[in-house]
Amino acid sequence: MSATVQRLEVTASPAAARLARLNRLDTVGLLITLVTLVGAIIWAFPLYWGLVTTFKHEYEIVRPGFQPWPEHFTFENYVHVLLQTKIGYWYINSLITSVAVTVLVVIMAASAGYAISQLDFPGRRFFWWMILGSFMVPIPALIVTHFIVISQLGLINTLAGVVGPQLIAPVTVIIYKQFFDSVPKDFREAAAMDGANDFQLLFRIYLPMNWGVTTALAIITFIGAWNLFLWPFLAVSSEDKMNITVGITQVHDNYGISYGRDLAVAMLAALPVAVVYLIFQRRVTQAIMLSAGIKG
Amino acid sequence: MSAGAAEIVGAASPHVELRRVTKRYGSVTAISDLTLTVDKGSFTALLGPSGCGKSTLLRMIAGLEAITAGQCFIDGVDVSDLPPAKRRIAMVFQSYALYPHMTVRQNIAFSLSVAGQPKKVQNARALEVARVLQLESYLDRRPAELSGGQRQRVAIGRALVRKPEAFLFDEPLSNLDAKLRVQMRLELAKLHADLGTTMIYVTHDQTEAMTLADKIVVLDKGVISQVGSPLDLYNAPANKFVAAFIGSPGMNFFKVDIAAIDGKAASIVLPGGQKAEAPVRTDAADLRSAELGVRPEHLILVDPDDAAAVFGGAVRIVEHLGNSTLVYVDTAAGQLIVEGEGNLKVKSGETVGLKLNEEHAHLFGATGATL
Repeated sequence: MSATVQRLEVTASPAAARLARLNRLDTVGLLITLVTLVGAIIWAFPLYWGLVTTFKHEYEIVRPGFQPWPEHFTFENYVHVLLQTKIGYWYINSLITSVAVTVLVVIMAASAGYAISQLDFPGRRFFWWMILGSFMVPIPALIVTHFIVISQLGLINTLAGVVGPQLIAPVTVIIYKQFFDSVPKDFREAAAMDGANDFQLLFRIYLPMNWGVTTALAIITFIGAWNLFLWPFLAVSSEDKMNITVGITQVHDNYGISYGRDLAVAMLAALPVAVVYLIFQRRVTQAIMLSAGIKG
Repeated sequence: MSAGAAEIVGAASPHVELRRVTKRYGSVTAISDLTLTVDKGSFTALLGPSGCGKSTLLRMIAGLEAITAGQCFIDGVDVSDLPPAKRRIAMVFQSYALYPHMTVRQNIAFSLSVAGQPKKVQNARALEVARVLQLESYLDRRPAELSGGQRQRVAIGRALVRKPEAFLFDEPLSNLDAKLRVQMRLELAKLHADLGTTMIYVTHDQTEAMTLADKIVVLDKGVISQVGSPLDLYNAPANKFVAAFIGSPGMNFFKVDIAAIDGKAASIVLPGGQKAEAPVRTDAADLRSAELGVRPEHLILVDPDDAAAVFGGAVRIVEHLGNSTLVYVDTAAGQLIVEGEGNLKVKSGETVGLKLNEEHAHLFGATGATL
């Protein structure tokens, strides 16, 4: 009898220790969850504040004090933005330039990545070092040069002028090169035996084999191009050629800035990106990880 | 059946011909001044250990490696400087190299597709090839959905669809399990018999080479060691390298003294002092020592007191393989492997005698060449 009791104690003791460990873990987990929640609230609050503000009258917005919900709910800001501004143009311009940037960047970066990874030509190493070096230079540092070049090409106030400097995407080239490097050479040789040329190799073998990377890069490039403000702001002064991000600056009334209307345009501008992000969440994360891997 | 870089000439019309080809990678010479002729319709195996240059040789024929010196002819045309696609040959890779994003149909028809053939022609040819290889029901699957054997067949199909002058195989069965390898070996042999197309097959597996090929080219360190039929190589190896490489389990080797030599046979003194005779093709009377090579099946287990026993020794290990038995015997000549019948009754530690089948013994000189 006593032996049985002893055995029970022996077996109960590790179980109790495990339970204590679990309790400790639960407390740590709870703390982490709380900190994360607070962080998420701090991050999301400006978004919430912006969205709520768009449904307020201007007098409510400028009134001192904290008002987390509209006193008088209104769509007036959206109605004004949709009917009284050139938001339609801005949307279309943003769409055209973002799609153009995405398509061209993917094609050019894939081609450059393929050439550097797979072809043997004089100066290959030089080009590779140049690309590696170029992504270390921040784009805003080159913005004056871009302006002069685009201006001399007569492309200021054109959509082509907005697109041009955005085609410099060294990180995308580097990512493609890395992926193409990892494709076993048997595929290339088998296709060469079958008579495929380099264009067929790239567009029929290498790109489709890395389709996931292409999708991820395309999405992140599109989002980047859609959200870009500084360059389109400098390159375009005509209201008809503005992107949506620049168009926000054109929304004001006779008394100056109208916060409700500005934020309404901002919300409408962010909408497509939010939708794209929600649909392709995993791909976007993957692309960010890829770029982060490169940037170290 | 000549050794080294000497010219190897087939009896039938030459189809693929390499003339004094050399391949260097910087200061390393992979293939040295090699001449080889492959007959039309033959099944030729390039056999050798890893790093002997067999794959390099195949890749030079394919056009995937540039030839440093020499020429390559296919059907009488110098193709040395032609790109792979213009050589009218097809290659099956060790990894199969099936495009993972394409279906079996698209994989098979890829060469037709890049050549701009109409979709209808592509589909018809893919179906035709799939029928030959019994792949009709898999045409719409992707490679990831196929077994190893099916993938191998698709790789062959991709080669077959081009109606090439010659097929090149680079160790195509090495990724398959043992059972599937035997099955695919038979299918390849059948395919060759049906098509009658020239096939050049790289392998390090002598069983594959022996069972499939009608001519085997044994390579050693970038030079041809011997060319011949499988049985030629097995029964009359040109040198110790070929003798050791062909046959499983491998040949037994040990030093012997030569008492006399007359151009047809040599009287030899075996380790332990017993005398024997071995066939030779030399009458170099000044030879005093050599190395004797005996295949395991040419050593026979006898009673230790048997008058015909040339060696006596203790059995170390016995391996029963079912159809045969391998017995490892410690003798005055070192440990020798004896291959006996499947139901051989012998135990580890037992003392046995070994009789030598002199007719099948091989004598090798100091350079390794057969005497």
